[in-house]
Amino acid sequence: MPEFTGWLLDLFDDPREGLVLYFIDEKGAHHRLTRPFPVTFYALGSDAQLRALWRQLSNRPDEITLCRTHRMDVFKRQDVTVLGVTVKNPYQAGKIFHETAAQFPELEYADADLNISLRFAAETGAFPLCRCQVWSDEVGQLTHIKVLEDAWLLKATPIPLRTMSLAPDVAPHHAKPRYLIVEVAGEEYHLDLHTWRPLLINLRALIQRHDPDLLLTDWGDTWLLPKLMAQSEKYHIPLGLNREIGRGVSWHEERTYFSYGQIIFRGQQIHLFGRCHIDRQNAVLWNDYELDGTIEVSRVTALPLQTAARVSPGTGISSIEMLTALREGILVPWQKQQAEMLKPAADLFTADQGGLVYQPKIGVHKNVAEIDFVSLYPAIMVYFNISPETILPDPNGENLVPALGLAIDNSQDGLIPKALRPLLEKRIEMKKHLASTPNWDPFRKNFKRRASALKWLLVTCFGYLGYKNARFGRIEAHQAVTAYGREALLRAKEAAEDMGFEVIQLYVDGLWVHHPQKTRPEDIQPLLLEIQERTGLPISLDGIYRWVVFVGSRQNKKRAVANRYFGVFQDGSIKVRGIDTRRHDSTPFVSEAQMHLLELLASKDQPEDALPEAVDYLRARLRALRSGHVSLPDLLVRQRLGRKLEAYRTPSPAARAVMQLQAAGKEMRPGQRVPFIYTLGKPGVFAWDRPQAPNPHAVDVARYQRLLLRAAGIVLESWGMDEEKLTERVLSDASQLRLPVPPKQHPRKHRSNIPGVVHPAMDRALKGQIH
Amino acid sequence: MNKQIISFPVPKTGKISLVVAPKTVIHSLMSMLAVLALRGRVIVVDGGNCFDAYSLARALRRRTHQIQPALKAVQLSRAFTCYQMVAMLSELPVDGTPVIVLDLLSTFLDENVNFSKRQRLLESSLNLLRQISEGAPVAAWARAHPAAEGEYQQLLMPLLETAHDIWELQAPEIPDHQLPLF
Amino acid sequence: MGRTLPSATQLMLQEEASLARFRRALRRGDQLVFDDLFTSAQKHISAAAYAAHALPFETFLMAMLLEEHKELMRLREIVERLREMHA
Repeated sequence: MPEFTGWLLDLFDDPREGLVLYFIDEKGAHHRLTRPFPVTFYALGSDAQLRALWRQLSNRPDEITLCRTHRMDVFKRQDVTVLGVTVKNPYQAGKIFHETAAQFPELEYADADLNISLRFAAETGAFPLCRCQVWSDEVGQLTHIKVLEDAWLLKATPIPLRTMSLAPDVAPHHAKPRYLIVEVAGEEYHLDLHTWRPLLINLRALIQRHDPDLLLTDWGDTWLLPKLMAQSEKYHIPLGLNREIGRGVSWHEERTYFSYGQIIFRGQQIHLFGRCHIDRQNAVLWNDYELDGTIEVSRVTALPLQTAARVSPGTGISSIEMLTALREGILVPWQKQQAEMLKPAADLFTADQGGLVYQPKIGVHKNVAEIDFVSLYPAIMVYFNISPETILPDPNGENLVPALGLAIDNSQDGLIPKALRPLLEKRIEMKKHLASTPNWDPFRKNFKRRASALKWLLVTCFGYLGYKNARFGRIEAHQAVTAYGREALLRAKEAAEDMGFEVIQLYVDGLWVHHPQKTRPEDIQPLLLEIQERTGLPISLDGIYRWVVFVGSRQNKKRAVANRYFGVFQDGSIKVRGIDTRRHDSTPFVSEAQMHLLELLASKDQPEDALPEAVDYLRARLRALRSGHVSLPDLLVRQRLGRKLEAYRTPSPAARAVMQLQAAGKEMRPGQRVPFIYTLGKPGVFAWDRPQAPNPHAVDVARYQRLLLRAAGIVLESWGMDEEKLTERVLSDASQLRLPVPPKQHPRKHRSNIPGVVHPAMDRALKGQIH
Repeated sequence: MNKQIISFPVPKTGKISLVVAPKTVIHSLMSMLAVLALRGRVIVVDGGNCFDAYSLARALRRRTHQIQPALKAVQLSRAFTCYQMVAMLSELPVDGTPVIVLDLLSTFLDENVNFSKRQRLLESSLNLLRQISEGAPVAAWARAHPAAEGEYQQLLMPLLETAHDIWELQAPEIPDHQLPLF
Repeated sequence: MGRTLPSATQLMLQEEASLARFRRALRRGDQLVFDDLFTSAQKHISAAAYAAHALPFETFLMAMLLEEHKELMRLREIVERLREMHA
């Protein structure tokens, strides 16, 4: 009985063998094993309907077995009679299910369209990239698998993954790439893209020699692999991209969808068999958490690595919930039927609200402690047992949800809390661990990335509860979570005020408080304990600001907006929200300057002292701009195309840039970001990805000057220098002829290190805006 | 807010009243709902996420100082998918309580569900409404589409055939912001 | 499943819009005072949202009144101090 220890790399269904699994052992060698893997879906309906279905399917005994049984319907809170349809070969299951559903449309179905990886995980406990011990027989059939490290382990043994990276020398939508850069085993090769035959032969040799487990590409989904495959066919030089012989690659279509009120575009995808392909340019949140985070997502969601790299956190959460349901024997509905309970219209006013958000007092605040509930919404779901089946319409019951006329059944753990608890606990553990890990620790980066992946999943799980197509979503559960969230925040506010703090700001899951004498972290501890006592939820001190500035809205300076601020913590780190530095569409020229000004302010005991230096710096930047010393990429604006081109009445700058691209034969879809430069005259923009090079003299210098001074004004206004004064001071120097002084330190490298930087979509998710 | 309110007659048992009108009709419907709610329990099924509780509160306030009992008498459920719409209608209590369906067709216009399936689900919904109307007053509103396309028309037809009274309202001409002086 | 009801911020804008004719007929100076009232009410928009009143304008009026009274107390304090200085 051969046996080895290793990791599950990939698994997929197969027309002949049922299930094919690829493993890597501890030496890095790969093993291909197979296993028969029948899968079952269920049909629900009246006895007569189920009998008709039985008659229809019973004439295919070599493919299908049938059984009448009972399964748990989580929405009905009871076992229901179902017809179980077990398809012997999982490869046939999808086809047979869709035929059945088309023939018997009036039936309800469950466990119908689940990823095979989830089914395998539910049955054996083994999930993609898990470390396991594997037994097989002499014909290569998997006989037994034992998981050695579960998905919730804090430090997993590193996988000896063999990685090959493939990237064109330049973004293909921007210019024509000249060569392909291949990186493998510490070597770098440049293959000429003008001579396909030698390129293909060399690439094939490299793939054969190194036999990578993972192909990491740039634009592999949308450009490189399609191109390579077409050329490989043309020259009859097979590349062996797949490990699995006899399988073509799997194509997934491009799509555009809405998420948190934002339009998102995802390009087509190419998945391989037996080897994983990840396109860094098409992977979800790659810039945020890279391969470490992607592996983490794959492990905790039990989705194959190639899938995990490309799905939204919402799909990840959905997988975790479905896996829990499968393990518990709970039906996973194919189409959710559950409607909202009938409730008095009077309740809607209270129920139909998001998180509690204060309007902060505009201006500078000194010695402010920021206190955050740790993963507030997931914690509420887990600790208060909020799940579609635990919410009852009984207003006289116990465990009333604050002010909603709903009660929670605490007699057993709900499905959602069961699914989320390990995820939440792992995240909290990781956060603790990170806090005690020194900066030089080699594992720190890996930890940070994985923690970020978990954070995304947790941030999404609340919105997903309210998503209309979520299998285990329920509007009442969604409302209960926000109701508890508001209650928790108000109790925290009351605790703070009872202890003599002034509340500066409340924002969904955090509060900003000030006390003239309590300015050290240890002074805040009693408040943290008190809040924890009053709410039953974990809370932590994010930090104490030396000063923090809340700025007014763009439209009306007097009107406060909740999430537009910047500040400096006692340890000198800077936190910024909602201003140019943080905006994805602002140019590096502007956002780096704004960040540099913040660093100047942070470097002084009295921020006002930084003003002369700030003015000098801005003058230098403007001189650099006027004399063409700012590189064009630093002037790029990246705006999202909000809708189809035809839908614009007055085209936005982004839309005008897209028109230029269209004229050059390049298509852009809504949701894609369009890089462009502001230029003089009409149409006022130059799309970066046009075939021609932009004319550096056509840059709309006045416009960039305005953008720079406006961004600087936001940061300096509170220290006595608003945009108007600043413009006057900075431009008074225009006649002076001095050599441009470049800033001592280019601020760009600080950007990625801003603490507490959160993606804007995550912000929206926190605010309770839902898809 | 300058909203024109049309007084619809309250629906009667045994009949399905249908209003085909643009979105602005919601205030008139809330006004009708206020009249019903002052008499007793009313069920509202909202298929378009458009139940205007504030408009209802204002309509009630014009008629009474005690708006809370009437707001409690209105029982609301929102359907966000066509599956939920059918499930909702099949679970309604059959006790003579008037039923008002808002934006009935909206969930059936979701292109993520295949069209024949939606047609079948709409047919089931209309059958359920017919059954309910035998013992209770039923009124439904279908949102009028300015550029009524194929699918919408095909879904509207069975609805028009099911209804006994039909009110069709056109979108009002939008007046200029400032009226000309001369 | 998006929200069904407008947010408190939207409600306030609606109420402001419903008074547009009233505002238009005011003198310019009074218009600015009118705008100021709404800006001050906006400071309590989250409390108004939490209150979830079926007739939100009543809450907005309360918010305006609250800010008015705060201002009154502030001025009263200044007057007191001035009086003490001159006593």
